[in-house]
Order: sequence, then structure tokens, then C-alpha cells
Amino acid sequence: MTETKPAPTLLGAGVDRVDGLSKVRGEAPFPSDVTYPRLAHAALVRSTIAAGRISRITTRAAEEAPGVLAVITHQNMPRLERGPATLIGPSPVSPLQDDQVFHHGQYVAVVVAESLQQASAAAELVDVEYEVAAGVFDLDDPRGELRVDPWGSGARRGDVEGALASAEVTFEASYSTAANTNNPIGLFTTVAAWEGDTLTLHDSTQWTANVRTTIAALFGLPEESVRVHAPFLGGGFGAGLRVWPHAVIAAVAAQVTGRPVKLELTRPQMFTGIGYRPATEQTVRLGALRTGQLVALQHHATIAIGIVDENPEPVTLISQSAYACPNVDVRDDERRLNIPPPGPLRAPGAAQGTFALESALDELSYKLGMDPLELRLRNYAEVDAHSGLPWSSNALRDCYAVGAERFGWAQRNPEVGSMREDSWQIGYGVASLSYHWWQVRCEARATIGRDGTAFVRSAANDIGTGTRTVMTQLSAELLGLGLSDVRFDLGDSTMPWSPAAGGSGLTTSLGVAVDDACRSLRGKFLELAVQGPGSPLAGCSSDDVVVSGGRLHRKDDPGVGESYAEVLARHGLDELSADGLGAPPDPAQTGLALSPPFAAKFAEVRIDADLGILRVARLLTVVDAGRILNEKLARSQIVGGTIGGIGQALFEETSFDPGTGRIANATFGDYLIPVSADVGDVDVAFVGQPDPLTPVGTKGVGELGLPGTAAAIANAVYHATGRRLRSLPIAIEQLY
Amino acid sequence: MKIVVALRVNEAAARLSLDGPETLLDALRDQMGLEGTKKGCDQGACGACTVLLDGKRVLSCLTLAAQCDGHEVTTVEGLAPDGGVHPVQAAFIRHDAFQCGYCTPGQIMSAVALLDEGRAGSDEEIREFMSGNLCRCAAYPNIVAAIRDVAGEVASHGADSGV
Amino acid sequence: MAPTPGFEYVRPSSVEDAVATVSGDPTAAYLAGGTTQLDLVLKDRVISPQRLVDITRLPLRGVTRTSDGLQVAAMTTMEELAADPTVTRELPLVREALLSGASTQLRNMATIGGNLLQRTRCRYFRDPTVAACNKRDPGSGCAAVTGHARMHAILGASEHCIASHASDLCVALVALDAVAHLQSMGGLSHVPLTEFYRVPGDRPDRETVLEHGELVTAIGIPLLPPGTRSSYLKVRDRASYEFALTSAAAALVVEHDVIRFARLALGGVGTVPWRAYEAEGILVGAPVSEGAFRAAAEAAVNDPFTVSGTEFKVELAKRTVVRVLQTVARNAS
Repeated sequence: MTETKPAPTLLGAGVDRVDGLSKVRGEAPFPSDVTYPRLAHAALVRSTIAAGRISRITTRAAEEAPGVLAVITHQNMPRLERGPATLIGPSPVSPLQDDQVFHHGQYVAVVVAESLQQASAAAELVDVEYEVAAGVFDLDDPRGELRVDPWGSGARRGDVEGALASAEVTFEASYSTAANTNNPIGLFTTVAAWEGDTLTLHDSTQWTANVRTTIAALFGLPEESVRVHAPFLGGGFGAGLRVWPHAVIAAVAAQVTGRPVKLELTRPQMFTGIGYRPATEQTVRLGALRTGQLVALQHHATIAIGIVDENPEPVTLISQSAYACPNVDVRDDERRLNIPPPGPLRAPGAAQGTFALESALDELSYKLGMDPLELRLRNYAEVDAHSGLPWSSNALRDCYAVGAERFGWAQRNPEVGSMREDSWQIGYGVASLSYHWWQVRCEARATIGRDGTAFVRSAANDIGTGTRTVMTQLSAELLGLGLSDVRFDLGDSTMPWSPAAGGSGLTTSLGVAVDDACRSLRGKFLELAVQGPGSPLAGCSSDDVVVSGGRLHRKDDPGVGESYAEVLARHGLDELSADGLGAPPDPAQTGLALSPPFAAKFAEVRIDADLGILRVARLLTVVDAGRILNEKLARSQIVGGTIGGIGQALFEETSFDPGTGRIANATFGDYLIPVSADVGDVDVAFVGQPDPLTPVGTKGVGELGLPGTAAAIANAVYHATGRRLRSLPIAIEQLY
Repeated sequence: MKIVVALRVNEAAARLSLDGPETLLDALRDQMGLEGTKKGCDQGACGACTVLLDGKRVLSCLTLAAQCDGHEVTTVEGLAPDGGVHPVQAAFIRHDAFQCGYCTPGQIMSAVALLDEGRAGSDEEIREFMSGNLCRCAAYPNIVAAIRDVAGEVASHGADSGV
Repeated sequence: MAPTPGFEYVRPSSVEDAVATVSGDPTAAYLAGGTTQLDLVLKDRVISPQRLVDITRLPLRGVTRTSDGLQVAAMTTMEELAADPTVTRELPLVREALLSGASTQLRNMATIGGNLLQRTRCRYFRDPTVAACNKRDPGSGCAAVTGHARMHAILGASEHCIASHASDLCVALVALDAVAHLQSMGGLSHVPLTEFYRVPGDRPDRETVLEHGELVTAIGIPLLPPGTRSSYLKVRDRASYEFALTSAAAALVVEHDVIRFARLALGGVGTVPWRAYEAEGILVGAPVSEGAFRAAAEAAVNDPFTVSGTEFKVELAKRTVVRVLQTVARNAS
């Protein structure tokens, strides 16, 4: 008997996506691809004012148009409560409930017809008259209600004012960030089909379970009566974290017409109906010693919010613990405006807050005459300053060191405006970033059947991040199976409960549940394997037995054992299943702070100062996200987020018309997102160790891509030109 | 009055009965069940609906189905018939050139055309001539790598065979 | 608001048939590549012809070299013209303008005739829910002058309309004195492109000299004198696939560091493709110098009309002119 070599680990390796083939063939079914016999189509009518009320709405012409099945307005819409609050904030206000208008683009009617063309044509025949009121659109307009620290997320420690007064060097500046729209390429779509009192929804969501809970509550149904399918999503970037009004309207439309109904948003509707990153104005005040040591850090934000909706957007949260500083004061305020309800978009809060904090640090570094990277190192937080607990894991120093080496930071001439090549001015910039630990309770179930293959599932969502793939890898590793013998499925509300795919939280939440389910299933098999007549492992304790290659065998004699299939056959079982549960660790028990993932971001910009042309030549992100389950996919996420950061930095601004609140650029021709030609060298490196707080060792990857990109770019622009740009996006007119 | 048009889609004859305003995109998706071609903006600005018309890449959302009478349309479903995989599709998987996968069929159709146009000579050229296909997941660097890889295969194959 | 897009689709059998069909029906319109027309009819719902006359099958395709220039049939696509050997060798400003516009997919669809008639990208024009648009609804006002006007025009603009002409190609073509060949019920006529477009004044709805039914059948592009160097420079936020903030097409003949021949036109800043005659006059006879280029730029961006959001284009347009002249002169010397 030859000694079998330990199987190479399935994790960490750059395994290709398990659903890749279906995507490159165009076979992956997105919600907009779902069809039903007798499918009807819905088209929305949106408000053309931003504030006021509907004084009259005339639907007769629309009702009489060819193919029209129903026209629903606030006059005949069933009365619905607001959906229940979720783990990540309140639900949107239910649609079409009264005559009040709070933003341009608000839904005022829906037309259901035999075809989309008929529905769209009839929607134009709905005649709406309004009583227009004065709208409020500017963050600094005092007519808009200012909500001070509405979420109680503000935090203070020490005495900031005292520390600022006695600091050797102080710095203060204000920063602003524009509204940015998620703009996934996939048009958000809900297909709703009733069968008696049960409702099936195919929905563009990042959170299958929440759609079920919310819709069930709104319609007064038991949760089992709502089935939600969301196996694929054409991008969400946070837009799929809520049950937005169109999904509710689709369900009502299907109920009213007695037909399955598809409601696919148009691109302009994607700007007003599914959230977007709100604009912010921020002030940062820093106090430091000449050595660079921070003694005071104050970070206040005012964030745009709609008139009636809610959107917890933790802009200043990152400043609580980012640096070792004894005196800290952070606070998020909100201003209510007549704008479409904002929502999460890629690293909500951190995307805006990191720009201000990391720009301010950079400004302080020049004031101190200190290398900006050195300033950050000197303020490295040895412990979580907010809780006082040691980090569960923190390789931020390695991020700085590896990044500096890989990027060639030493080649940076510290003098502003000193680096040139032909007509290009060159600048290097750096930013540090993190995104808070987010893990919540999650469930999974694992089954191995008579064919010896495993089926593992959870109601989770794979929004393109690779959840299916990494969970297949994780399950295969834990169950001692090859990748092709494991199927991981998700996106179905009948599966065990999972939190949202968002906030860099799913891989850890779900990973721990999958780990638990697989270990438990393996345990059940081990128990059975040593039992019963004919067991080759009879008499072994479970410690003597290991699993590999789909076989349970003696640790000291791999030849002695049997396969999963043989165990099941011997016991006359068709399959064996186990449930898994994952819950977040409790810092009070572990004595460790839940460490966020950390990263350092380096940027090289090239500026043609004569024409104001800015090109981002290089971007490097060095990431400590704990254990990386699949480096290939994790890298893709960081690259994608980083390029999203180029958009935030240079192009993206959702523009509201003064006076009317209409979005002036609600198309892909007018709202610019980065294209291939905008992307130079985008490099990623991973450092750090598995985090010890969970068996999976992950800390979350996705949100580490975008934040800090704009700050690193703006810092590089200053280094190149001496122009300090404190407002995003940075446009040509600020540079030439 | 219905307009009947005859065209070839993925090398098979097809007949469409049209009112007039139907776009090729809607005809493919709704009438022919070819849902691989995606609608991202329906306004000619994102590239998700890219198909080949007589071998050239076009946007099916701004093409009337009626205008395709007598023409040849190739969609992502027609790239590698009979369950095969086109080299560009294989390279996209290998290089992880997508995340959510929604813009992917359009990216792949555009990439196939770009290779045919001889515009994969450098990364810079690939970037420029792929810029009509938006990807919000921003898999751009991996898309460029995938195309470069296929262009290299084609080039080396050409050299080996003395072409 | 436009009525439902229930138009009739027709295919004329000949150019004469097409012209007769559209001329005889005020609700009819030509359909070429579709990249402008279908966007406005089907998607933005700005215009609502009852009949679309598909002219893509008419024998109006191809580029012919004549003794003094190129004759480009109107249904030739942008990609086809960009690939033409004469354009590639002798008219780099045309090739560069073509390839800097749109995407390959759109260039495979969009025709040269259609490009001449490309409508503005002004979002206030393109959104029928915006009431004030003199171009859509004469006399209703202009929402753009108090709106987000970054992409708008500063030359030929007024409080009546600041919509910019979006074409890159036409900037090169007006610099070259290209000529539109028009077919109407009355016969064939020729109009220089520099006279083809109407500066909006108080009638922004009237964009060209075309009468209803008149069809652009070809564009004549005169060749440049031997030894001419030319280029097109487009300044925009994104590195690709975006309309111009500013652009300039220039052609120069330089002998012994003295400019003997000059053509200059601007894009992104004009309500029409903007030929800069006065600047050309300053350049001809001047030495190749920063001073001459700057003087030409000042003359080219003369008497701009700006609103909040477009002020920066005044200086940026001048610098764009200087840069393109520098580039061309460097190649010409």
C-alpha cells in the first residue's frame, strides 16, 4: 500500500467559476429572462414633479388602449403597510398609497397589458395633474429638515476640542461627494405569479429571504406562501438589498389581473427607483503632534436623504477606529430633500467617508512635511481604539509595506509637481481603508446521496462575487470530495435562511454555516461508518478516521475504509443530511475586537495640465481580508471595486435639475461610468492570515475595492499638480 | 398590417411576423426565445445587446427587426453550436472576465468581432475598441487579458501553420 | 408627449420613390442606420413619425475616388469610411474624427448621411417631460440654460438654445469644405456643409437647410493640397466612448516654418459644426509659433455665449485649438 499524498487544498487556488459556462453561453437565467404562459407586462408612470400632490389622475384613455388589462393608481391600489424593518435598516415606503409626491420619478401609476409595447404606450396616456409645491434639493438648503445623528451612530471619546486647542499642528477642511447611481447593467425586474394564495416571485435581489419576509408581511401571507427565486442578478452593488416599490407593484399587478406579470425597469427608472449613493458634505478636523501622532480627529457628515424613506449610511464610522487617536468625535447627520430615496452602493458610507478622512490625512502629511505613508504608519492602531480590545487580526502594516515595495513608493519624489514625463505631470497618492466586520446568523444544509455526491444549499445570493464557487470549494474541502462532486445551490427562499449578499458579510456568515453543516454531516457519516455489520472501520473511533476522495478511511491505513455511497448502501439509506448554523462571535467572550478587513491603496495619475486630462495609470490595492478562499475571484472583486472607485473619483455624478429635481443625466450616454479605455494597470495583492474568530477565517473582500480609490487619486493629483481637490467627481474643469 | 421578414439567425432560417417598431433585440428575446442577448439600456449606450449582423457587431436595441430581412444574425447562442465552447468563451472563463455575467454575452460578441477586425494588436487597442461594452462589475482588465490570450492563440496558430 | 410609436415601416424601391414617399407625407421620415432616429422615436419618444422609410437598401453605399476628392454615398457606414484607403492615407482628421466617435457597434450601424443629421444630445431636448425646449416646441423656452449645461455649446448659442452639435465627423467635414448632395422632388442640388447647418437664433427647431423630404444622397469631400498634415483632437472626461467637451479639426501646410494653408473647425462647443475662418486667416502666412496658434484660438472662440457650467469651455476650447495646431505643425515640419 503506497502512502497517499495529502490532497492539494481546494481553497485559495484560483478555481474557475462553477457557473462560468452558463454565463459565457448566455444561459444563466436572470429575472428579466423569466417567462410564463399568459405573461402580462407592466409599465410604470412616474411623477414629473418633485414635491406636491396629485390633484387629478385620469386613466380612461389608458384603460381603453389596446391590450390593457389594468391601470393601478393610488385611487385603486390596495392599502399596504410599510414593510418591516430589516437587519440593515427600514423598508422603503409602500408605493401608490396616497396623492403625495416626494420626488421626481416617484411612481404614480402602473399599466398592465398583454405586451410590453402596449403597456408602455398606454402608460403615456395616463394623464396626471399636480399641485406643485416648492422642492428642496440642496444639501445646504436650510429648508430641508436636518436630522442630527438620526441613527445614534455618533461616537465620542476623549476631548476633541481640548486636544485640538493644544495640538502642535491642526488641520481642518470640508469635502463633498456627489450622488452616484448604482447602474448595474441588468435592468431590475420582478416577475410575479399567483397561484391561489401563494405567490412566486422572480426578483432582482441580493437578499432572497428578505424579499419573502417583506412581501409576506405586506400581503398578510404566511412566509411559506411566498416563494422567491433569485439564482442570478445582473449586478446590484447594493441596489438589491431592499424590496423596492416596483417589486411590490409587480405582485399587486399580478394579483389584480390574475395573470403572471413581468415588470422590468427602464434605464432611466434605474436612477430613481432602486436607491443610489447619496451626496455628502463632510468636515474633518485633525490635531497632531510634530511627530505626526494624531491627538484629535473630528469627522462630521451631512448626508442627503429623501423626504419619507430611511437610509442608514455610516459615512464617519470608519473614523472611529481607523487610527490610534485618543480624542475622537464622529457624527452622521441627514438632510431631507425632495430626491429619490438613496440606498446602498458599494461600501456605503465608507465610499464617501474614506475620501474625506484619507484626503485630510494626506493634507496633514504635507503640513507636517512627512511622507503620507509614514504618517499613517505612525498612527497605526495597535488595538481597536473604539472598544479597547485587541484586533482579532490586522495586517495593515503589511499592506503598507508590501504595497510600498510593489508600487515603487520609494521612487516618489516628495516634492509636489516634481515628477514629469513628456507633457504629463505624474503624481503618487496613497490611502488606507477598512470596512467594518459584518457577520450575522446564517443557515445552510448539506446532503450526500447514494451516488456519493453532495448537495449543499442556502437561500443566499451570488451577485457575481462568486458565492456559488467558493462555497462549492469550501464544501468539497470539508467533505473530502472533488469539486465536481459537490453542487452548491442558492437563490431560492425555500432553502435555509441567509442574510444578504452585501456589506462584505456573506462569505463569512454563510461560510460558517456551511462549515457547520459539512462538519456535522461528516460527523454523521463517521458515526455510521464505524457501525453495523460489514463495516471495514468497525472498532475505529472517529479520531482514527479521515475523509478524502469521497472515502472515509483509517488515518493510518488509507486502504481501509469505504465511500460515502457504500456507507449509505450498507445502512439502507438514500441520503444523509445535516443542518448548519453560523453566528457571529461575541467579543465579550473572545476578548478580541471583530477585525475589519484592511487595505492600502496606491495610485499613480498622469495629468495633461494644459487640457485637464487625467489618466489613472496605476492602482494597487493590498488587502488583508483574512483567509482568501479563491484568489482569482477575490482579485476580480477588488479590481472591479477599484474601477468603480475610478468612476466615483472622476466621472460619476447624478445631477438633479435645480428647481425641478429631475435627474438630468439618467441614461448611460449622460451618466458616465468607466469604460475599458479608462483602466490602466490595476494590481492587487493579498496579505495577512486567516482570522481566528471563525473556523472559515475570512473577513470579507468585496467592499475593500472601492473606498480609498478616490482619495488615493485625489492625493496623487495634489502630488502631481499642487491642486487639492476636495469635491468629487474631479472633472476636467478643475484640472486645466 | 404585419410585415413578414425572412432572415438567418445562428445559421438557421427564421421568419418573423412584425408590426414594424419591434427591435431586433426584442424579436430575438421575445419571439425567438434567444434570451442570451441582454437588454441593459435599450438606448444604444451599453453594448449588452451586441450581436453580429452579417458578421459585423451591431446593437440589436437600435436595429429594427424589419431591417434584418435577408440578413444573417449571430447571437451568443450561435457561437459554438452543439454544446461546444468558442475560444473566446473559454478564455473568458479562464481569465475570470466577468462577475455577474449580464453584460457577458455582449462582451463576448464584441470580442469575437474585434478579433475579426484585427484590433487586438495591443492592450491599448483592445481597450479602445471594447469601450462600447460597459461592465459595471468592471471586469475590464480580465476581459482584455482574455482577448489578448485568444489573439495570441490565433497568432501562434497562424505562425505554426505558416499562414 | 409623443403618441404611441405605432409607425408604419416601408421600403422604397428607389431613391426617387423614397423622396416621393417622404415628400408627400408630412408624417414620414427617413430611417438609415437607426442610431439617432430610432433612439429618438422609440426610446426617448421625442419625435413621432407615422411612417419610417428605410433607405438602407437603396444603392447609396460606397466611397468613390474622383479627380479632386471622395464621393461618399450617404449610406456608407462610419466604419467603412474610416477604413477607406484615401481617408486613411490622406485625410487623418476624418479618420480620427470617425474613430473617436461612438463605439464600433454604433459605427457599423451609423451612416455618413445620418451622421450629418445627428441630433443633439441635450437631455432637455431628449426628455419630453421637460416642457421648455425651443428645439422641440418653438417658443417654449430653454431649460438647459439654467440646468446642467456642461455638455452644451458656447458658439452660435443664445438664451434660445445651447444644444451642441454632437458629431465629430462633421467637424472634420466642415473644415474640409465638404459638400452635401441632396435629392428632392425638384432634382439634385449641392450645399456646402458650412452652409448646411443653421445657427439656431430664435428658431432652434430649424437645424439645417433641408426641406421635408429632401434626402442626403452623398457627401463630396475635397482632398487636401499635397503636403497637408491634419489631425482631430477630442477632449472628454472618459478616455473613450463619450461626446466631446471640446474638439478641433485642423489641417496645415507648412513650408519653412511658415503656414501656407490652414483649415480649422471646432466641435463640442458649437450649436453647429463650427468652422473658424477668421482663425484660418490669422494662421495663413504666420510663422509656426505659439503666438500665432494662440491668436488663432482667440479668434476661433470669439464672442462665446456661456451659462453656468459652460464657462470653462471658453478657455478649454482655445487650448484644444492650440494643441491640435501644435500636433499638426510638428508633423508638418
